[in-house]
Amino acid sequence: MASTAEHPVHLQHHFVSSDQQFDASKMGMWLFLITEILLFSGMFVTYTVYRVWYPEVFDGMAVLLDWRLGGLNTLVLLASSFTVALGIHYAQVDNKKGLVTNLILTFLFACVFLVVKYFEYSAKIEHGIVLGDGFAPHGVSHGVDYATYDVMFAQQFFSIYYVMTGIHGFHVLVGMGLFAWITIRAMKGHFTSAYYTPVELCGLYWHLVDIIWIFLFPLLYLI
Amino acid sequence: MSHAEHHITPIKTLVQVIVALFALTILTVATSRLDLGAFDVLVALAIALTKGALVVSVFMALKYDNKVNAVVFGIGALFVIVFLAFTLFDTAFRGDLSNTTEGTIMEQKAAEEALQQREPDPAALQFNRSNE
Amino acid sequence: MSQVNYLNHDKSIKSWLFTLDHKRIGIMYLVAVSLSFLAGGILALLVRTELLGPGETIMSADTYNQSFTLHAVLMIFAFIIPAIPAVMGNFVLPIQLGAKDVAFPRINLASFYIYLAGAAIALTALVVGRVDGGWTFYTPYSTSVDDGILFITAGVFVMGFSSILTGLNFIVTIHKMRAPGLTWNRLPLFIWSIYATSIVQVLATPVIGITMVLLFLERLLGIGIFDPALGGDPVLFQHFFWFYSHPAVYIMILPAFGIISDLMGTFSRQQVSGYKFVALSSVAIAFLGFLVWGHHMFVSGQSALSSIIFSLITYLIGIPTGVKVINWVQTMYKGSVWLQTPMLYALMFLFTFSIGGFTGIMLGVLAVDVHLHDTYFVVAHFHYVMMGGNVIAALGGLHYWWPKMTGKMFNETLGRIAAALVFIGFNVTFFPQFILGTRGMPRRYYDYLPEFTNLHVLSSVGSYILGVGLFLILGYLLHSLFRGKKAGSNPWGALTLEWTHTTTPPDPHNFHETPIVTRGPYDYHLAPELFGGDGAAGDGHEEEAEVTVPRGQATS
Ligand code: HEM
Ligand SMILES: [Cu+2]
Repeated sequence: MASTAEHPVHLQHHFVSSDQQFDASKMGMWLFLITEILLFSGMFVTYTVYRVWYPEVFDGMAVLLDWRLGGLNTLVLLASSFTVALGIHYAQVDNKKGLVTNLILTFLFACVFLVVKYFEYSAKIEHGIVLGDGFAPHGVSHGVDYATYDVMFAQQFFSIYYVMTGIHGFHVLVGMGLFAWITIRAMKGHFTSAYYTPVELCGLYWHLVDIIWIFLFPLLYLI
Repeated sequence: MSHAEHHITPIKTLVQVIVALFALTILTVATSRLDLGAFDVLVALAIALTKGALVVSVFMALKYDNKVNAVVFGIGALFVIVFLAFTLFDTAFRGDLSNTTEGTIMEQKAAEEALQQREPDPAALQFNRSNE
Repeated sequence: MSQVNYLNHDKSIKSWLFTLDHKRIGIMYLVAVSLSFLAGGILALLVRTELLGPGETIMSADTYNQSFTLHAVLMIFAFIIPAIPAVMGNFVLPIQLGAKDVAFPRINLASFYIYLAGAAIALTALVVGRVDGGWTFYTPYSTSVDDGILFITAGVFVMGFSSILTGLNFIVTIHKMRAPGLTWNRLPLFIWSIYATSIVQVLATPVIGITMVLLFLERLLGIGIFDPALGGDPVLFQHFFWFYSHPAVYIMILPAFGIISDLMGTFSRQQVSGYKFVALSSVAIAFLGFLVWGHHMFVSGQSALSSIIFSLITYLIGIPTGVKVINWVQTMYKGSVWLQTPMLYALMFLFTFSIGGFTGIMLGVLAVDVHLHDTYFVVAHFHYVMMGGNVIAALGGLHYWWPKMTGKMFNETLGRIAAALVFIGFNVTFFPQFILGTRGMPRRYYDYLPEFTNLHVLSSVGSYILGVGLFLILGYLLHSLFRGKKAGSNPWGALTLEWTHTTTPPDPHNFHETPIVTRGPYDYHLAPELFGGDGAAGDGHEEEAEVTVPRGQATS
């Protein structure tokens, strides 16, 4: 195995074979993903601790988050996960057009997600629901009197909401950067069924971002 | 460990999964509208876990992947649970020492005061430390 | 002309700064980490000097608070966490595996620059404000002091990334890049312990990341998660902090265990006793290490239930740790122990680490800890494990691999003198602190009662002796670079691949041909014929090896 006859361009010198390189990259990615999971775990722990302490407050505050927008974003992210999975499928069968189309779709779904998030945030901020010291709900809209929500530990709920969705949103942004990059590479024909590691790795990352949201949505918006 | 062929997930499977995911999303919204009391949280979590499992096993293809990656993922999940559980051992049971309630603290105080009443005047005891 | 090696094949500055070679990255880490150690050490000497007498001696109370805080932050995040993995792990691990490099060389280089950036950000705190509150950043104090904390937290966050990337890289390398024949049962114990360390790095470090983010936001915006004035819970901060920081103490000690295992095997010319137990106990410690963090919080007001659980599991940690210590001692039994400088450090480690470990168990006892918490006893405990454990082992490893890294031998006589100074200085510095602690001297205090003066002076004097020892080491190591005797390819007669299958200093690509491993790392009973340089042993650099077979006869 020490000397392979053909030496593909993507093979780095310290690997023996493409397989070894692919396996290594993939395992590295999975390890990276669990660091992401543990990063978010801190927020999930904070959420649980405060929810156990102040269940009524958390129940009450969820009402202020619009489950329609949250649900829409859930569907959008799920769809984007699907297009990524499709993209990888097309990469594996050497269908460049299918790959590029799906990568672009993924990118667009990510945009939609952030736009929706933007509207959600600004509606909150408008009513004094901000991260940190300035927290002071006020004003009335859609028949909801925000001032009545200015109760003890309401701030904790929204701090958790902002930090969780904020870090998640940041990951979406990073994901968009990644997809822009691999879309361009895919257009240039860098990927084939023999080598599509970057697509695979970005895909794994993106699915994880999706999974985090799968948990955030019910915890924050629904229950 | 080399496997020349990478697993290719058929489009049909992918479609089935996304349909299931959409359905579960609708289900979780629907159940949350009902008032299930304490089960609300459990149902929502169960659905979220199912969705997560679908994404991990099919979209991320962990089901077909090298075992080691599944172990990595499992360990990550395990330690999230450890973090959560051991923190809750504290936060959910704060103040579980029976001698730290307000009543017992007052009792303790009273007992201490009573003891102090009985304590002789230090000056009267006159420990002689001048020869140090 | 000397043979081509990783040091001389390209001498330009650029070839260093952009190198992807794990060996060069290891050396760059060595320089950076040593500078942190130097800075942290000078601060420690200043702190000890201030404590020569009660009241003000050389600095104000505020300067004192800043000094010990900065000492700890530098020592822990910028020195001791990266020290063994990033320096010796980087340099040695791929070679011991028979690989040409780590799995992700570019990420490896990135981790180095991320580390530098993190350290720089943390140090900015000194320019814009003060550093205060100790390395533990307990809220609400840390969120109410000035802005320095923002930079410290950001710096720690960034350095955490570097640590994660190093760990991730090593895990993949160990899984995927082992030479043919190098089964898990044949891995040098150093690799096993780096493996366990890396798992901890990958699993625990993200949590300090999110903790720092929350602390940062708490200080900047007041988000009310940790700050009790806003309805937050400061004890929750302690959970977050220790979820990382207790496992982090195993990031510090596990690699040290690995070095000691290798030294014990090599310098006793004997199979390390209980190889499998020693290997797996590293993994067990890594796992159990995640379940004990609450032993730092016995008096924090956490629930009694959690205190009891944490205390119980803390005792359990003693088991795998004891397994190791016993096996190291056993390894020397009937071996031909060769007391070269590296082995002196290994012996020193047995003594100092054991004291540190035992006092740790004492602190894990609930009732005892109520008395000893936040006293000098704790300070002495953790210096016995961190300095007496990690640093002593790191010094042992540095001396052991120094010839491999530089191609030069250090002066053995000076090495022994310095080792003696370090040993004496260390114990004189920290043993009195146990006594101070049991008598009630609180940690982190600027002032103290006059009756503590003698022990404090003793401790300070010890720290000067320790300082002299460490500077002596720096001196003769640097000297050896220019004047040192040329090292043979295997001066210690070790059996791991970095000694048997590559030149000294190693070739830029480590090996010309991937080695094929046919025996375990300490199989000295198989060694004689393998030393002869037959086909299986590889590429013909063994000429010098024979000279170095120890004075004691090889054991059978
Ligand atoms: C036998 C294993 C060990 C046990 C049972 C143990 C136990 C403990 C306990 C109970 C404390 C808390 C004391 C208090 O604050 O009241 C403590 C503190 C500490 N230990 Fe250990 N320990 C062990 C090994 C180690 C090792 C190997 C290291 C580092 C390499 C270490 C580093 C520390 C540090 C840094 C602190 C103090 C942290 C602070 O408050 O600043 N320990 N240990
Ligand atoms: Cu600890």
